[in-house]
Amino acid sequence: MSSSREKILAAARANKPDEKPLPTVPDFGGDDSTERFTQVLTSIGGQVVWIDGPEQLQPVLKQLYPESRLSASPLFSGTVPVDALTSTEVLADVDLAVLPGEIGVAENGCIWLPEANMLHRALPTITQHLVLVLDHRRIVATMHQAYAQLPSTGGYGAFIAGPSKTADIEQSLVIGAHGARSLVVLLY
Amino acid sequence: MNHATRAAKFVGDADRTTWHDETLWFVRAKRDKAVYAVPEFQDLRELASQIKDHTLSKLDTYLEQFEEQAKRNGVHVHWAADAAEHNAIILDIIRKHNATRVVKSKSMLTEECHLNPHLLSNGIEVVDTDLGERIIQLRDEAPSHLVLPAIHLKKEDVGETFFQHLGTAKGEIDPQVLTEAARQHLRARFLAAEVAISGVNFAVAETGGVVVCTNEGNADLGVNLAHVHIAAMGIEKLIPRLSDLAVFTRLLARSATGQPVTTYTSHYTKPAAGKEMHIVIVDNGRTKQLGRPDFRASLKCIRCGACMNTCPVYRRSGGHSYDFTVPGPIGAILSPNIDMKKHSSLPFASTLCGSCSDVCPVKIDIHTQLYKWRQVLGEANEIPASKKWSMKLMGRLLTSPKVFGVSGKLARQGIKYLPYSLTHARHFNVWAVARELPTPPKQSFREWYQQQAKNPA
Amino acid sequence: MKVALFVPCYVDQFYPQVGIASLQLLEKLGVKAEFPAAQTCCGQPLANSGCEKDALPIYRHYVDTFSDYDYVVAPSGSCVYHVRKHFDKLEQTPEVQQVRTSAYDLIDFITTVLGVTEIPGTFPHRVGLHLSCHGQRGLHQANESEMTPVRDGQLRRLLGSLNGIELTELDRNDECCGFGGTFCVSEAAISARMGQDRVADHVRNGTTVLTGGDMSCLMHLEGIVRRRQLPMRVLHAAEILNGTLS
Repeated sequence: MSSSREKILAAARANKPDEKPLPTVPDFGGDDSTERFTQVLTSIGGQVVWIDGPEQLQPVLKQLYPESRLSASPLFSGTVPVDALTSTEVLADVDLAVLPGEIGVAENGCIWLPEANMLHRALPTITQHLVLVLDHRRIVATMHQAYAQLPSTGGYGAFIAGPSKTADIEQSLVIGAHGARSLVVLLY
Repeated sequence: MNHATRAAKFVGDADRTTWHDETLWFVRAKRDKAVYAVPEFQDLRELASQIKDHTLSKLDTYLEQFEEQAKRNGVHVHWAADAAEHNAIILDIIRKHNATRVVKSKSMLTEECHLNPHLLSNGIEVVDTDLGERIIQLRDEAPSHLVLPAIHLKKEDVGETFFQHLGTAKGEIDPQVLTEAARQHLRARFLAAEVAISGVNFAVAETGGVVVCTNEGNADLGVNLAHVHIAAMGIEKLIPRLSDLAVFTRLLARSATGQPVTTYTSHYTKPAAGKEMHIVIVDNGRTKQLGRPDFRASLKCIRCGACMNTCPVYRRSGGHSYDFTVPGPIGAILSPNIDMKKHSSLPFASTLCGSCSDVCPVKIDIHTQLYKWRQVLGEANEIPASKKWSMKLMGRLLTSPKVFGVSGKLARQGIKYLPYSLTHARHFNVWAVARELPTPPKQSFREWYQQQAKNPA
Repeated sequence: MKVALFVPCYVDQFYPQVGIASLQLLEKLGVKAEFPAAQTCCGQPLANSGCEKDALPIYRHYVDTFSDYDYVVAPSGSCVYHVRKHFDKLEQTPEVQQVRTSAYDLIDFITTVLGVTEIPGTFPHRVGLHLSCHGQRGLHQANESEMTPVRDGQLRRLLGSLNGIELTELDRNDECCGFGGTFCVSEAAISARMGQDRVADHVRNGTTVLTGGDMSCLMHLEGIVRRRQLPMRVLHAAEILNGTLS
């Protein structure tokens, strides 16, 4: 083992204060309505569209993205087959990714997307446009409830809240920094 | 050069100071709005504070637990005692893969360790991918804020930089157009990168995973395309449980920018199939700070930048006036731990108004620590000798009521009888550069009181 | 109830009228306060400069001067905050503990100890309230914008009870004025700019009388108001309240 490891651990041991208690974090409750979720997600640049069920997916997508040429999805056979081994060049051309989200959070409009639902880890950010499909019954009020429902975070997973954005130039909000330029959540 | 000198230079440009102040106040106002909207926000601050206090009190145990879990996840764990070792480890990983093209998402730790110059001087092309970071990298400047690294620049400045480096049209200053140009420019770098370096917002002991929060998605894009991911983390990034993330993710973005959460809250736990993930755990003075009871709470910092946005001094002096990787109030309590002499003026760059402590999402007593650093610096003779001696004199004066009465009178009479040109001369009296001295009254309160006592009305 | 008036050094020399108003106001509210002649200072200027050790004799002198009183009242929350918070450096004898709990800002004393919530009187002016950081964030005499949008506080209520008064609403309700003790000379440029910005907020929102509970902030702001020859009077709140109360 490296000596730095031992040095750091020894110093931490020697310099730490007396043990302080780890608090129990309560569930603060809160508003888990789809209205709240929709309102917050809209305020951060996302869009919510209701569909009757997964079978309605493709007609709605055609309507929302008439220009889309290269789509990838585990929910239907897209035009680009993507898996964990797909090359960067192929991924770079995807303009629409349609992925199933797991949990929605009303307080901040984010959706949990685990690796298993992504086809490729880079797909949610490399695609030009992202659609997340979510069962409205999976919306919870706050992050406390979201984490409580996560069995684990798997190898990789992300809470995604709206499209990629930046305000690094004079605090002017610009949608579409490096990741997806738009995010639509299809609720059913 | 001390903070006051650099600050005076910044504030000398009155219009730009107004703009800087108002831009950051706008962020503070957004923060307020987001905070007011969460009824339990103050409870969350208390919980976050307690979780961090607890973690620091068992830091060695949690570090070991984290390492064990991470290794079980197939992650390579490295330990760096200081900046040099951190840089050497990262260079070594890059070289082992014969890589030269590296993308990096936001990491204040790598800034602190001056990783970029180290990699560049060893032939590695390292590109910062956060838009603000990329702007200042192209300009060869240091970040001036924790989460808004290019906040000191106006769009005209960015436009000029992009004209020179990215080929945008001369005079193009539309943030939308400039951001799009950066997107195209950086996308090519993302696609070509062999190694991606990221910072760490939170490291979860029970899972061995790290969490990175961005708005741009640059960490995810970089890490998930490159073959190798290197995450650099300070030892203080640990939290015990996955569920603790709920507390911190609810606080972080609201405190930082007023957003309800960052766009991407990404959990990296295991490398993707066939790829590599490394975590570099760095001390670089942190265990030393842990050993200072008055200052160890500074290690609770989650780098939200709220203390900067609220600090009336920071807003008017700019991040570069601090001349330290982390500027603002939190930088002023972290920096003396690193180099007391060099940063001796920073704990004095504050009115001790206390707003920093009140916005801090993990309840660091920032202004109290500023006060305490002043005492440490005073004891170590790191304050100007003139100040030291005048304070000693004052100490004597203020314990003797008699001398006190006489000298007060002298001061008052001085203002009264000395010519205005002398009492208000900027070389003798800094007060009077922008302010009038008080008009000296005929008698002091003390004199009035004694007179009253003798001749009650 | 044995009450002492603590008059900070700069108030003693430059703003005796504030000491006088404090004394008279307390008397009108039924409290005869004494002014112990041996008093000097709380030691804050030294301690804030990093010379806390040199301030310890001043702390002790303060304790010797004031430990016999039930309450020590000062027209300056900053001094009071210093005594309460930073006299922890002394050995905590009963006398030290006594002065740390008996120290009160004048407005705090009137509100919480005397239970006075209204002042009968008339003050037909547009009054801008400057909240001192030590009074507000240190002694919790007013709500903080860091915590709540509700602007409320002891002085706001007392002033608001006067007839004819119009309290101006500032764009930034509780930003620091930039005085900061020795900060005002060691960081003179930033200090001045902060003060100018505070004053500009008052001008923008129509303040004609600028007031507050802490004379140190007001001394700084008054210096700027007078340099710019603005049509604005600067008065300590004690002067307003004493003037209106018969």
